[in-house]
Amino acid sequence: MKFSTPKVFVSGFQATFKLRAIFLTVICATGLSLFPAQFATAEIFNASELVRAVMEHWRGINSYSEMTMTIHRADWQRSISMRVWSEGDKLSLVRVIAPKKDTGNGTLLKDNEMWTYSPKINRIIKIPSSMMRRAWLGSDFSNKEISKSTEILNQYVHSLIGQTQKDGHTIYTIEAIPHEDAAIVWGKEILIIRDDFVLLEEQYWDQDNKLVKVMQARDIVEMGGRAVARVLRMGKLESPQEWTEMTVSSIQFDLELPSGIFTLSNLRNPRQ
Amino acid sequence: MVLPASVMARLAWRNLWRNYRRTLIMLLAITVGVWAMIFMTALLRGMVDDMVNQGIGALPGHVQVHALAYRDDPSINHSLPAPQKALLDVLNSDQVSAWSSRVKVPTMISSEYENRGVVLLGVDPEGELALGFDASDIIEGRFLSGPDDRGIVIGRKLMQRLETRLGKRVVVMSQSPANTIADRGFRIVGVFRAELEGREEGIVYAGRDVVQAMLGVATSVSEIAVLGHDYRSPEVLASSVRRVVATDVDVSSWRELDPYLSSMTWVMDGFVLVWMVVIFLTLSFGLVNTLMMAVFERVREIGLMRALGMRPAAIVYEVLVESMILLTLGLLAGDLLAISTLIPLEEGIDVSKLSQGLEMMGASSMLYPLLQWQDLLLANTVVIGLGLVAALLPALRAAQYRPVEALRKT
Repeated sequence: MKFSTPKVFVSGFQATFKLRAIFLTVICATGLSLFPAQFATAEIFNASELVRAVMEHWRGINSYSEMTMTIHRADWQRSISMRVWSEGDKLSLVRVIAPKKDTGNGTLLKDNEMWTYSPKINRIIKIPSSMMRRAWLGSDFSNKEISKSTEILNQYVHSLIGQTQKDGHTIYTIEAIPHEDAAIVWGKEILIIRDDFVLLEEQYWDQDNKLVKVMQARDIVEMGGRAVARVLRMGKLESPQEWTEMTVSSIQFDLELPSGIFTLSNLRNPRQ
Repeated sequence: MVLPASVMARLAWRNLWRNYRRTLIMLLAITVGVWAMIFMTALLRGMVDDMVNQGIGALPGHVQVHALAYRDDPSINHSLPAPQKALLDVLNSDQVSAWSSRVKVPTMISSEYENRGVVLLGVDPEGELALGFDASDIIEGRFLSGPDDRGIVIGRKLMQRLETRLGKRVVVMSQSPANTIADRGFRIVGVFRAELEGREEGIVYAGRDVVQAMLGVATSVSEIAVLGHDYRSPEVLASSVRRVVATDVDVSSWRELDPYLSSMTWVMDGFVLVWMVVIFLTLSFGLVNTLMMAVFERVREIGLMRALGMRPAAIVYEVLVESMILLTLGLLAGDLLAISTLIPLEEGIDVSKLSQGLEMMGASSMLYPLLQWQDLLLANTVVIGLGLVAALLPALRAAQYRPVEALRKT
């Protein structure tokens, strides 16, 4: 059983819980972990504690990846290629490398705060709260969804609601219900996770128990020494013609990231 | 020959009733004219009063206190400490009928499907009700129960726009003073309606303590709204509040806060005068005509009086007294008629058929006529004053006859 290799656990779940920061969402990995095996094997599975332990383990893990975001609409489609650096659960930096007219646009995330930089106007803009619900780079992800960090851990109540077998894997279904005061509009979210801790799907349900949005992973391959969902698609059920796909072309973990990479000055004047 | 006033009056009175039909018709015309002036003015006044009251209810208050920069940039950075000591004394004095402090910041509100920009009011529901929020405007659920209520009350239109409803959660997102994002989920506990759709769509109410905690501003507030006793004199109240606040605090009356509303009241004063003069002008044609005829009929008589030694000035005097009597009688009848028709309408006139058009002007669907003694006085002055001016024309005409020619006229 895969649970006997608890290493897998952390990074696998991490991917789930870091969902909002999509750069990390993509990473479903096999990896180092000190995570206790009993969580995995226990009959009753305390989803919240699991999440907390996983979040704590993630601190300090960094990554560098290259990915392409494809935004699809009924009558057009565009792709943006980007480089993504991340460290822990709070810091991320994104820099667009193609198409040419968008090259150099950057986004820096620090905890729940977000800045963008555009070389055309040579300005760093801090995204104000009024713009947090706007689309990020025109995609189906909002700025808010991009910038969330530890929300999935501390703003929800988690419970395991299902467990099935498929192709030799156990598939877990975790239901996450936001707290009363949490700044989350959804009635609930459902996470579907394979027992090698690859996030297969995240569903966003409204408060009338209607499914609104789904994020699905496909093409799970090994990259950078971990299992990674190569393609991740976000789409609304209402409009099947509109979706955004993130495709990872390469990813590396645990590198020596230069200090000062997640700073405003680096956002403006790239040094790497 | 100088006749005493009593004789002059008697002469005028008899002359008037020589052709009683003509006089009665003229009296009727003046009566109806005066009635129209007063009645319509009362309706207009009622409408303006209603607009002002609604506007003040929306502000709310006759006087508001803000941080100096708040009105230019209504952000949470420009907030005030909660009222203390001297200010509190003024607020609790007799000249204030109600006051409340509120947090008022622009926010984004989101449901699962939609986002809208709205103004979030963190209020103490008790104070808000005292300032003029009408509890019967809550059409679903309830109003907030206290400043620590964790629910939110939104407008009917906003609820439709967000595709949400009573009992569901929405997320409110704003900016803290440290320029970071302050957000929170609220459950919709009530839905309100408003006369103006813009309010339904643009304003949400939450508990003040909850909003302060969300924004991380301790007990600071954005504004203090103060309601006095009469909206016509907000400056008195404003200056007594101004005396007890710091210099970096802005105290403004509703006239400054809502210049449109304020100018509406000035425009209305001017309009009332124009309205009266216009009605009078139509009346004056009748008046001049009547007096003119009275003069023409009596050419020989006037000639005789002149031949007997009456001065032209006395002739003018006599005709003016005649018109004065006519105008006074007409005014009395018109005033009485206007007052007696306005009294039964005090309960208000239902004009809901026109409500959409009126709403654009900020008026409601019930019209409450308002009779002001100043308007009554103005109407009477206009009629007497301009009436005498109009009567001068026939009077001068009468005075110009040469006695010999007048006597020979048939």
